[in-house]
Amino acid sequence: MLGERAKCLLLRMRALWKRRQLDRDLRDEMAFHLAMREQKLRPVFGDEARYAARRAFGNTAGIEEETRMLWTFRWLEQLGQDLRYAARSFRKSPAMTAVVVLSLALGIGANTAIFSLIDAVLLRMLPVAAPQELLQVQREAGPGAGSNSFTYPLWEAIRDRQDVFSVAFAWSAGQFDMAGGGAVQNVDQIWITGDYFSALGVNPAAGRLITNSDDRRGCAPVTVLSYGFWQSHYGGSPEVLGKSISLNHQLFQVIGVSARGFTGVDVGSKFDVAVPACASAVFDRKTSRLEARSWWWLAVIGRAKPGLTQEQVRARLAVLSPAIMSAAVPSNWDEKSQQRFLKTKLITAPAGNGVSYLRRKFTDPLNVLMAIAGMVLLIACANVASLMLARSTARSRELATRKAVGASRSRLVRQLLTESLLLSCLGAILGLLFARWGSLLLVGRLSTWRNSVYLDLRPDNRVLGFTLGVALLTGILVGLMPALRSTRIPLMAAMKSGALGGEQRRLRFRAGKWIVAAQVSLSLVLLIGGGLLLRSFTRLLALDIGFDRSNVLLVSTDLATAHIPAERMPQVYEQIDSRLKAVPGVLSVARSFTTPLSGRGWNNFVSVDTPNPPKGEQALTWFNFVSPDYFVTMRTAVVAGRSFDAGDTNKSAQVAIINQTMAKRFFPGMNALGRQLRVLGEKDEPGPPIQIVGVVKDAKYDEVREEMSATAFFPIDQMPERGVQENYALRTALPPADVVTAVQRAVAGVNGDIPLEFHTLARQVEDDLIEERLLATLSAFFGGLALLLAMIGLYGVLSYLVTQRRAEFGIRTALGAKPLSILQLVMRDTLAVVGAGIMAGLLISFWAVKLLQKMLFSLTAHDAFTTLGAVGILAAVGLVAGFVPARRAARVDPMVALRCE
Amino acid sequence: MGAPGKTDLLQGTLELLILKTLVRGAMHGYAIAESILACSEEVLQVEEGALYPALHRLELRGLLASEWGLSENNRRAKYYRLMPAGKKQLAHETEYWHRVAGAIGRVLAAT
Repeated sequence: MLGERAKCLLLRMRALWKRRQLDRDLRDEMAFHLAMREQKLRPVFGDEARYAARRAFGNTAGIEEETRMLWTFRWLEQLGQDLRYAARSFRKSPAMTAVVVLSLALGIGANTAIFSLIDAVLLRMLPVAAPQELLQVQREAGPGAGSNSFTYPLWEAIRDRQDVFSVAFAWSAGQFDMAGGGAVQNVDQIWITGDYFSALGVNPAAGRLITNSDDRRGCAPVTVLSYGFWQSHYGGSPEVLGKSISLNHQLFQVIGVSARGFTGVDVGSKFDVAVPACASAVFDRKTSRLEARSWWWLAVIGRAKPGLTQEQVRARLAVLSPAIMSAAVPSNWDEKSQQRFLKTKLITAPAGNGVSYLRRKFTDPLNVLMAIAGMVLLIACANVASLMLARSTARSRELATRKAVGASRSRLVRQLLTESLLLSCLGAILGLLFARWGSLLLVGRLSTWRNSVYLDLRPDNRVLGFTLGVALLTGILVGLMPALRSTRIPLMAAMKSGALGGEQRRLRFRAGKWIVAAQVSLSLVLLIGGGLLLRSFTRLLALDIGFDRSNVLLVSTDLATAHIPAERMPQVYEQIDSRLKAVPGVLSVARSFTTPLSGRGWNNFVSVDTPNPPKGEQALTWFNFVSPDYFVTMRTAVVAGRSFDAGDTNKSAQVAIINQTMAKRFFPGMNALGRQLRVLGEKDEPGPPIQIVGVVKDAKYDEVREEMSATAFFPIDQMPERGVQENYALRTALPPADVVTAVQRAVAGVNGDIPLEFHTLARQVEDDLIEERLLATLSAFFGGLALLLAMIGLYGVLSYLVTQRRAEFGIRTALGAKPLSILQLVMRDTLAVVGAGIMAGLLISFWAVKLLQKMLFSLTAHDAFTTLGAVGILAAVGLVAGFVPARRAARVDPMVALRCE
Repeated sequence: MGAPGKTDLLQGTLELLILKTLVRGAMHGYAIAESILACSEEVLQVEEGALYPALHRLELRGLLASEWGLSENNRRAKYYRLMPAGKKQLAHETEYWHRVAGAIGRVLAAT
C-alpha cells in the first residue's frame, strides 16, 4: 500500500516536470481514438462521421481537464494559478495594492511589536537548562503577596536546611563603576553564589565560570564576563582572561566568559560582569552584608528535585520554614518584629521565564496596548475590506466572465481569498520589519536613566507564529466578505452591463456602510481610551509637585569608593561645596541625603507631644537631610519660620523643618513652629527632642502619583550616621548639560578619585512617569491613526456610492433637484453611518474604559469631557470626510452623467 | 462537477471492465472501448471519453502500465498492459462483484 502511494507520488512529481509532454500524450491518445471511431462510422454517417465520433466521445475539453487533474497536484496547480492571477491584478492597480499592504503592515506590525514585547517580558523561557524546574523562593508577606529579598544568613539557612531543591542559588543585581574616578562608567553587575551558573546549566564561552570553590568567605575577587560585554568591551579577545579589571576601585581577575545568549535571570536587564557574593567583603566596612541579618539584598532560585511538583515543594517549605527563619532572625529587631519574622513562611513562584521588575510595572500597560493595537488592526482590516469590496465591483465583469466559462463559485471565492491572503502575508512580512523597529523604539521608551531596559527581542517561534496567525486571520477577515458577496451576483446581471443593477448595488453599499459604521465605533473607543490616558498624563504633568524640575543638575558622589574615611567626609564635602558654588552658570548648590523621586528614601516613626498625636502608619514620616540652600535650589517655598543656615551644625541644637502635610497631620489647628518632635528608635524609644523651626510647601517624595506624604527635613550636618552617600543638586542658569565638565573639573580639584554620576531633576521626574507617558503617547497615536483610517474608510465608501449613483444624481438634477437637496441626500447617508457608529462606540466604550480606571490619575473612566470631546472630533472628521463626496455629487453635470450611462 | 454518486458507481464498474478486458493482453484505448461496448451489448451507456480518466487513474495506482506503440493501421497509439497488482485487484473486485450481484439477485428473487 505504501509502495503504491510512493509510486503514485513519484509519478505525479514527474508529471509536475513533464507537464507539457503529458498534455501532448493525452491529446494524441484522444485524437487517435477519435480518428479510429470516425473511420469506423464513416460508412454509416459519411461526412458527419467526425461529429458523430465526437458526440460518442463526449466533452473532450472536460475529459482532458479531468484526466490532467489526476496527474497533478490539483491544489498546487490552482494555487499557482491563483497566485498568478493575484499578481496580475496587483500589477493592474499598484497604488491600491500599496495602500492595502502598507495599512495591513502597520496594523500587523503594531500588533507584532507589542506582542514581541509581551513575549520578551512575560512569556519567554530563560535560555537555560530545563527552565520549567526553576522556582523562586519568596517570603510570604501577606495573602497572595511575597517579598523576594533575602539576607545572606537567611540564604545560607535556606541552602543548608532545604531538601526540595536539587540545587539553589542566590543573586543580586547592581552596578559597578569601571572608571577610576571622575565621571562614572557604570557596568551592570550581579553578585552570585557559587552554584549560579551550574544550577542554570550555563557553559563558559571562554575560560571557566564561577563555582562553589570561588564563593567562600575570604575569597579572591574574581569575575566572569557576559558574552555580550566581552564582545562589545574587549572585542572578544581571549587576552582579557587572567587580567584584572577595576570595578568600583577594586581589582577583579577575569576568569572566564559565560555562554552566548545568556544575560542573567533578570528579564529586562542584563549583566556585564558577575562576581561571587563573598567578594562583597572587599567593599564592606563596618557592616558586612555576608553577616548582616537585616541587609536584604539577595533573591533566591532553586531547581525542584525531579518528580516534585510546585505544590509539594511549597508544602515541604512551609514545614521547613520555622527552622530556617529561626536560624537567621535579625537580632537587632524588636520583639514583635522578630516574632513576626519567625512566623513568616517561605513560598515559591515559577521562575522558568526569569524574574522581572518590568512585569509588575508593565503587564497592565502592555495588555492595554495589545488591545489597542488589535483594534487598530481591525479598523485597518475594515478599510481594506471596503476597498476590496469596491474593487470587486469594478471586477464584476471579469468574475462574471470566469463564471460563464465554467469556474465554480467556490473556485472564485478561493481565488479572491488567495489574493487577500497574499496581501495580508505581504503586509505581515513588511509588518515584521516595522515591528522590529517599533519594539526597539518601545524598549527605548521603557528605559529610565537608572534602569536601562535590555530585552531579547529576536523574534522567536511564538512571535513568528503570532504574526502568521494574525496575517491569516487578517487575510480571511479582509477577503471573505467581499469574496462571498461579489460572487453571489447573478451572472446575467453582471454580464449585461459593466455596472450592477440597483438591487445588487444597494446590497453592496449596505455592506460598505456596516463596515464603516463598525470602524467609526472602534475609532471612538480608541479615541476615548487614548483621550483618557492622555488627559490623565497631562494632569500628572501639570501637577504641582512642589519643586521646580527644570535646570537642576543632579550629581551623585561616592566618597567611600574613593577611600575617603568617614571622619574626613564633612570636610571634603565642604570643599566641594565651595568649589561648586564658584562654577560659572551655577546659581545655587544644595547637598542632601536624597532628591525628590530618586528612589532613595529614609523613614521613621515620629512622636509629638500634642494631646492626640498620630499613631501607627499615620506617624510614619519621610526624612531628608539637606544643606541650607536646598529649598532655594529646589524652589520649594518656606511658608513659615526659617530655612536652615550655617548656624545649624552638628554641634548646635537639633532642628527640623516640616512640610505642610506633616504640620496639618501632627499639629492640626496649631502653629507647628517652635514645637518639638521626637524620632522613634529601633525599639520605639523616643529620641531627643528636635525643635521645628520652619514649615515648607509640600513636595513629592517618592513618586508623582503619590498623595503628599508627611516629610521632615533636618540639617545635613545633623545626620545621625556618618559616611552615608550625599548628593548634589545644582540650580543652573545654563542648560544643566553645559556645566557638567566644569563641575567635573571642580570636584577633581578636590579629589580626582571621587566617582561622579550626572543626571537632571527633569529626567528624574520624567522617568517616574514612563508608564503613563508610554501609554498616553501610544494610545493617542493609535487613536489618531484610527481616526485617520476611519476617515479614509468613510470617504472611500461615500465616494464609491457617489460614483455609482452618478446617473441618478444627474437625472435628479435634470429634473430640477437643487444641488443642496442632493448634498443633503448624501449627507444623510453620512450622518446615518457616523451616528450609528458613534452610538455603538459609546456602548462599547462605556464598558471598555472601566478596564482603564486603575491607570487613570484623578480622572474617572466615564469622564464626560473626554467622551464628548472624542465624539465631537469623530463627528467633525466624519462629516468632513462625507462632505467632499457629497459636494461632488451635488455638482454632477446631468449631461455628462447621462451620456456615460 | 457532476453528481458524485452516479459517477462513483460507474467509475468502479468501468475500472473493473477495463481490468477484465486487459486480461487478454495489451490494448490501446480505442480497442478497449470497442471491446467493452461489444461485450456489454451496449447496455452500459458510457461516453467513450470517460474511459481515459479511468485508464489514467488505474495507471497512477500502478494497476496498469502503458507504452507507446504502433497500431494495426500503423498509427502511434498508447497501449495499456495489466500489472500484477492489477490482476490481484481484478480477482478481488470480481469476487466482490459476484458476491454483491448474488446478494442483490437473492433479494430481488425473494419477493
